Amino acid sequence: MKQSRWQQATYRHPYLFALLLLVAAFIANALLQPNLLEPTTLNRNMRVFLPLILVAVGQAIVMIGGGIDISVGSIVSVVNAILATQIGLSGDLSTAGVMMGVALLVGMGAGALNGLFIAYLRLQPIITTFATSFIYAGLALFILPNPGGGAPSRLTAFYRETIILWLPLAFYVIALILLIWAVVRRTRYGRYLYAVGGKADAAYETGVPVRAVQFSTYVISGLMAALGGIAMTLLTGSGNAQVGDPLTLSSITAAVIGGTPLSGGAGGVAGPIMGAIILGLIRNIISFANVATWWQTFVNAAIIVLALAMPGIINLVRRRTR
Amino acid sequence: MPPLLAVRNVAKRYGAVQALIDASLDVDAGETLALIGANGSGKSTLSKVINGVVAPDRGQLLLDGRAVRFDSPHAAKDAGISTVFQELSLVPQLTVAENIWLTREPLRRGGLIDRRTERRRTEELLSLFAGTLRADLTPDTPVFALLPDERQIVEILKAISVNPRLLILDEATASLDSRQVQRLFELIGQWKAQGTAIIFISHRMTEIEQIADRYSVLRNGQTVGAGSMKETTASDLVTLMAPETAGGAVERRRASPDALATRRVVLQIEDLRTSVLRGVSMQVHEGELLGIGGLKGQGQRDLLLAIFGGVPWSGRMTLDGKPVHFTHPRQAMNHGVALVPGDRAGEGLLSIRSILENLLVPSWRNYGFPLRMKRARQDAAAIAARLEVKMASLDAPVSSLSGGNAQKVVIGKWLLRNPRLLLLDDPTKGVDIATKAEFYRLLTRLCEEGTTVILYSSDDEELIGLSDRVLVMHDGRISSELAGAALTTANLVAASLGVSAGVAL
Repeated sequence: MKQSRWQQATYRHPYLFALLLLVAAFIANALLQPNLLEPTTLNRNMRVFLPLILVAVGQAIVMIGGGIDISVGSIVSVVNAILATQIGLSGDLSTAGVMMGVALLVGMGAGALNGLFIAYLRLQPIITTFATSFIYAGLALFILPNPGGGAPSRLTAFYRETIILWLPLAFYVIALILLIWAVVRRTRYGRYLYAVGGKADAAYETGVPVRAVQFSTYVISGLMAALGGIAMTLLTGSGNAQVGDPLTLSSITAAVIGGTPLSGGAGGVAGPIMGAIILGLIRNIISFANVATWWQTFVNAAIIVLALAMPGIINLVRRRTR
Repeated sequence: MPPLLAVRNVAKRYGAVQALIDASLDVDAGETLALIGANGSGKSTLSKVINGVVAPDRGQLLLDGRAVRFDSPHAAKDAGISTVFQELSLVPQLTVAENIWLTREPLRRGGLIDRRTERRRTEELLSLFAGTLRADLTPDTPVFALLPDERQIVEILKAISVNPRLLILDEATASLDSRQVQRLFELIGQWKAQGTAIIFISHRMTEIEQIADRYSVLRNGQTVGAGSMKETTASDLVTLMAPETAGGAVERRRASPDALATRRVVLQIEDLRTSVLRGVSMQVHEGELLGIGGLKGQGQRDLLLAIFGGVPWSGRMTLDGKPVHFTHPRQAMNHGVALVPGDRAGEGLLSIRSILENLLVPSWRNYGFPLRMKRARQDAAAIAARLEVKMASLDAPVSSLSGGNAQKVVIGKWLLRNPRLLLLDDPTKGVDIATKAEFYRLLTRLCEEGTTVILYSSDDEELIGLSDRVLVMHDGRISSELAGAALTTANLVAASLGVSAGVAL
């Protein structure tokens, strides 16, 4: 089968569509908010985007491996509930450190449970994680029935105000993620991930440990969701057992915009990061444009449909013009 | 010295089908063994037993004289047995290099993949087929962008990259062009010289004669002969694969060619072309049972689909003297043409729904709105009685039926529409003998009642036993027509393989 030039380009650079969209969204946002590039404005935006960026990276890794994780939002909520109740507004830094470690373990444990069901018991990813998302959401409500608690201002200030060399903290986190990803892509694990997501039967026939790879993607996703939960807690400085809910669909949207197909085996991490930023910028644009907030949901949905349909639309147009 | 690999008395059963009864073979280091047999003789199953995809029910594998058991393809690969699979084992999204070295990537210290070495080794492998591949095919080309022949070559390179002791080539030449095949044969010569044993499975007699040192013949799951290629001829091998036998399970009186010629022509096709077919012309008479034979994948399925309007085609087609050009199966159905698909479970039946519903799926629109259920039920009951479907009631789910009765439902649902032309796509594949016999009686009766049948079957004996005439297809064309006294299994096998020696046509 002959591949179109767009397909070839997106194979080599899965984030191409995201990059175009990012530039467009950035320009539109900059027109409405001229000081967008000033360090403080940049920081004010990026610190809001960071939780979704972290969650979307984990989601993208699951999707590359051929799965999907609907429970990430609930994991964020659990982590937020734990931190807000256990550290509290007047907590000291050592408790905070311990509790963040606990939060990461909880996230990985939740991911491991997902992975156990999906990789070893061979349940459907979408159903399994949808079901476990209720377990985790229930757990969050059990820990924190009513919004409350929080994190000490010294910690939240570190998250909110850190700017090193004109660049906000979020940029360094992104750089670190990209660096780790660049290394992972050059390891066997990286290859296995794409092989399992691309064609699990063929990978198995070749001797790839398919189940272990699938399992690992959910653990990574749980870990990234826990990191997202920590970021979310430090951003808001308060506890709310439903704070993670919107992140699930947003993380899938970000991954899809970022060139990670729902069918697996392709994509990367840079695209979903851009995808998460795009979603944030769109929210900005909508609030600056003074339109009703339901437009945000509408635009998000329109973008995910467009991103999914893009290759098909291009093929259709090509066939018509031939 | 024991042979590198010895297979002893292997048997394997898939449900109702006994794929292997008693298969044995020996292969030594540095030789090429041709594993040959007609369609459905068990070649692929035997190769799957050897490479660990399938566990045998009985029998032994001896590697260097020691009994071995492979629980997975991976275990066989660790023992030095590498297979070029018919169903490709490549991941489309990965590149050529990534696919070839998957799980065996060269690593640098620290665990990172040494992409330069990987690239160089891939280029070395690709250079084996230099000149027969596109110039822009590099180690970094993603596999989804490759053509079928290029994928097959990558598959071969992946199998050989482990330096196997035994290489199984299962129909590996089927999608290669002649230059690529010649190149592969030169390479097989080199690998043999290095001591690799090769099992070569192919339908193409000329290739077997060219490359094999020894042969082993399978017939109906049994090894019926083995020896040196030097001491045999192509026609001897054909006789081994398909001996002259009387009839077999199938009993149907053939209409003589002369009698057929006096009947009305139902379907006439001239110069039919599709992406697969390359100019097919034929005619079928009323009440005739026309067989379509040949090796698998020579365009038989496309021919049926084209008649049914399932694939785009060019050429001329007349049905009952009127020119037709169906572009959608619905049009063909409205003209009394029905296609019974080969994959019963997948395409033919809704297995959890009732027999009644399944029978009526193509005909609901004849029963108005709201559906006249009483009449529908009467019609379904009539057809079920006519086909002698053994069932608890019309409301029982299809899954409660035996294979043969389920097959009757597949055909019955089309008979409800009173087709004049019935197209059958390998209808008895994976069906047990008793069911087949019932099915043959049904076809015989349908033809007597004036229905015209075009039957494609991968079972040669069935074709010979049932058909009034058989058209043998090769490479999208009709290569020969067998009728009357020339309609024998041996002739059909020989014609399929393109051998004419000892064949009285």
